[in-house]
Amino acid sequence: MRQGIGESRSRGAVAAVLATLLLLPVVLPVFYTYIAALILVTALLAMSLNLVLGYGGIYQFHHAVFYGVGAYALALTVTKAGLSAWIGFLAGPLAAAAAGCLIGWFCVRLTRLYFGMLQISLGSLLWIIVLRWYPVTGGDDGIHGIPMPSLLASPTSVYYFILAVVALCLVVLYRVTSSPFGATLQAVRDNPQRCEAVGVNVRRHQLVAIVIAAGIAGVAGVLYVALERSVFASMLFWVLSLEILVMCLLGGWFTFAGPIVGAAIIVALRTFVGRYTENWTMILGIMMILLIFFMPEGVMGFLLDRLGRRPSAVEEEALAYPAQTAGKGG
Amino acid sequence: MKRMKGLALMVLVVGLSVAFAAQAPATTLGTAPTSLLAQAPRLERNIKVGIVDTYSGPAAVFGTDALNGFKLALAEINKEGVLGAKIDFVTRDERFSPEIGLSMARELILQEKVDVVVGTINSATALAISSYVKDQKVPFVVWISKSEKITGAKGHRYVFSTGENTAMAGRAIAEAMARRPYVKYWLAADDYEYGHEITNSFWKFMKRAKPEVTLAGQTWWRPGEPDLVPYLTAIMGAKPDVVFFGTGGASMANVLKAVKTTGMSERIPAAIHTAIDHAVLKPLGVGAPEGVVGTIDYLWYYPDTPANRAFAKAFQDAYGGPPGFPAFHGYNTAYFIAQAFKKARSLEREKFIDALEGLSINTPVGQVEMRACDHQAVLPLFLGVTKRTPQYDFLVATSITTLRGEEVMPSCDDIKKARGQ
Amino acid sequence: MDLSVVGSQLLVGLSRAMILFIVSAGLSFVLGVLRVPNIFHGSLYMIGAFSAFSIATWLGGQSTGLWLAMLAAPVVAVAIGMIVERALLAHLYRREHLMLILFTWGVMLILNDLVKLAWGPTYRSIMPPAALQGSASLLGIALPRYNLFLLLIGPLVAVGLWLFTQRTRIGKIARAAAVDQEMVAILGINVSRVLAVAFLVGCYLAGLGGALVAPTTSITLGMDHSIIVDAFLIVTIGGLGNIWGALVGALVFGVTQSLGLLVWPQFAVVFPYLTVVIVLLLRPRGLLRSVW
Repeated sequence: MRQGIGESRSRGAVAAVLATLLLLPVVLPVFYTYIAALILVTALLAMSLNLVLGYGGIYQFHHAVFYGVGAYALALTVTKAGLSAWIGFLAGPLAAAAAGCLIGWFCVRLTRLYFGMLQISLGSLLWIIVLRWYPVTGGDDGIHGIPMPSLLASPTSVYYFILAVVALCLVVLYRVTSSPFGATLQAVRDNPQRCEAVGVNVRRHQLVAIVIAAGIAGVAGVLYVALERSVFASMLFWVLSLEILVMCLLGGWFTFAGPIVGAAIIVALRTFVGRYTENWTMILGIMMILLIFFMPEGVMGFLLDRLGRRPSAVEEEALAYPAQTAGKGG
Repeated sequence: MKRMKGLALMVLVVGLSVAFAAQAPATTLGTAPTSLLAQAPRLERNIKVGIVDTYSGPAAVFGTDALNGFKLALAEINKEGVLGAKIDFVTRDERFSPEIGLSMARELILQEKVDVVVGTINSATALAISSYVKDQKVPFVVWISKSEKITGAKGHRYVFSTGENTAMAGRAIAEAMARRPYVKYWLAADDYEYGHEITNSFWKFMKRAKPEVTLAGQTWWRPGEPDLVPYLTAIMGAKPDVVFFGTGGASMANVLKAVKTTGMSERIPAAIHTAIDHAVLKPLGVGAPEGVVGTIDYLWYYPDTPANRAFAKAFQDAYGGPPGFPAFHGYNTAYFIAQAFKKARSLEREKFIDALEGLSINTPVGQVEMRACDHQAVLPLFLGVTKRTPQYDFLVATSITTLRGEEVMPSCDDIKKARGQ
Repeated sequence: MDLSVVGSQLLVGLSRAMILFIVSAGLSFVLGVLRVPNIFHGSLYMIGAFSAFSIATWLGGQSTGLWLAMLAAPVVAVAIGMIVERALLAHLYRREHLMLILFTWGVMLILNDLVKLAWGPTYRSIMPPAALQGSASLLGIALPRYNLFLLLIGPLVAVGLWLFTQRTRIGKIARAAAVDQEMVAILGINVSRVLAVAFLVGCYLAGLGGALVAPTTSITLGMDHSIIVDAFLIVTIGGLGNIWGALVGALVFGVTQSLGLLVWPQFAVVFPYLTVVIVLLLRPRGLLRSVW
């Protein structure tokens, strides 16, 4: 741990980034402010997944469900219950955390791919409810033109609102990962058997992590509604979950900020490359493969590596051999 | 703490790259004045149309066909120009995802500064964009999605539809079926929006046209379900008089194939909107079942008029196949846009909308009006039965009857009621 | 309810299960031996279907052409799969599973666009060979002939797989590699070659599944998406990496689906997911023994 100088430099950098982000709406055209806000929302979603995926080593294959549940909870609070959107902003994360608790409660009994496939199945059942309950959810047409408080009327104010909430959530996530709970979670990831042996309740730790991650995904969901004023059933579809997974892996899932980079890359790709070619998914595929070959620890891992800050030994070992250790362990 | 710096650095990089990306289009586009003097019959810049549609995945066949029809019309229109200007267009592939589609519509409006947005096959995307353009006050023309909500309950000043919708199609096919002797119906459909809407609409009008009909049961399958034989054998076991299928696109082809292989076509008749769509019947060849009752709003071989022959031939020459209904919608959309700008004599959006309301254009199947009260194109619907004929190696529709748009569309009063006015 | 209706549903469900079995057996074999969760397995299935169409059309669309297409189409899938394996995947076997998911998904995205470039967006369709068209009667139950044919092919493939894994040298080594790759390597066996052969078998089964499904469905972009989730669910309930698990899983899947349709046809969409949830809650590691 090289703190001291590193820490003060980090603080300076965070301040610089924050200042840049605060200035963005002033210097950028309105569409780019929107894209920046979309990147922030998507980044928060990816970060929340990384809490369970990167730190917990949990195969959270259907994370998008919690994002969708959060978004729908807000949408329904406003359009069906007729309550204020501010209540919805609280209801969304709570509903998502509840869904996380429910799905997680079943899933933590299973390990790795089994965990992932059970989660895909349970999540898909929730997706089907949204898809089929036309009178309430609007089915796969979704709900559009969701009224928002007048405070969030202009694109700039929405951007600042999103920036503030995302910053707050990142602080929470950072605190969680650097807390004793976070340390135990990482220990569980690296060696569940050993943790079990020394008396750690592995399942409970995993469940708590899933609930926190689901709650934060719910926050991302309500922020998406604040930005787009629409919800879609496809927000709960497995393809989106796979995309979030890719964001974490692309950005670097053993780094705190990696998923943000991943989210930015994916959103930027589909916005800007989609302009020039209809075959942009092929470009995405090629980029993914190149990254796997040349930046196996993700973009962020690569950058940290270049800056001479290699991931800890435990993480390196996990990168190189998990297939073998896991195969025998499970 | 070391990772905080990583975070910082990364956000900086992203911020810079976004900022950099923002530079390029902003400088090339420049600023374009959106208003002109009304008496000047020349536009001082080209008209820009932004198209959001699906060009990948199974629905790409519709998006591509509509775009081809649109391009064919533009080639004709731009030859003489629109008030001295041309119509340009840009396309965006939404990949059948409403999130991406909505984001792209924003980009077209805010960044590309298009005059008109056009799209899409996906009704969720169409409704999301519709809600967005209402705020932005930009005209949006829907050309493939058949959701009746677009110009019905969720309609407003800025959204138009140049295609038929489920309200029209459901009523057309219900009234045709009411004249046949069947009483015990089974409803089977794709378990997504279009399947539900067309089936509900059909059943609503069926009960109105013939109150004694009964519902024997209903089946809903996952969209994209590859093999429908188990579903059909289960339905055949229940022995209904007739089956209505609410399906379209790739699923339609699966339904028709399964109807043939299970032998259902010889025992239980079937009715399906767009069953006589050439884009579905052509690939199936002689593997398609005969005797299926279908409706559609465009056939390249009917009506056999000079205008339709000319359009079908021009399209065939340009794209190597006959036009489907999306191509017909795309072709008409281009003419609606061009004629409305000519009538408005201005690039102003509000004037364009005023001009488009009630505008009537010449199409390959005759005059089509854009109804002023709901912004829905008054399209005729053709009802036919699939049949094998010696001159083709695929099935075509025969004994075709035409239903005029006015006969099957909801009245303006109904629309007002649906919109809660 | 009429007993013959139940019987015909059962047979139709079983025949549907055969295609699912063939595709998921390939996926499971690759999962077991190579430990690769291969998402582009679905793309190979789609390529198998499109190739069957092209080969049949090229050969004139008659019965002989259709039979030859069924034989040749899987070879196209194998060729494409092996290019990917030798050029790229072979260098990644020791990576984390999630990275392999990311990699195979990337390949799926690329193949998806390549299929679009090669075949265009329009639907394709082929007929079954003339001998398999129409319906036949079995124990008083009318059943499409093609479904009867699938009921024969499924067991044939299963027997072939059994012979390959139990009776051939390379099959035995592959089974050993599934349990302990390092041990196999220590014995002086070229593991890379064994893995390649195992992958080839997986690709062949994906392509075969696509070629077999082609006459029953419209061949279209997006087929890859719909099959891959089902295949993964089947492999999971059967027991990851166990090809007999894939058989059991496919039978459970196909039969619950088709019998469920008699009881609750308006909610067909939930059957696959509900089946998986129930099976996994009762047996958290699948029905049969898993090598994972």
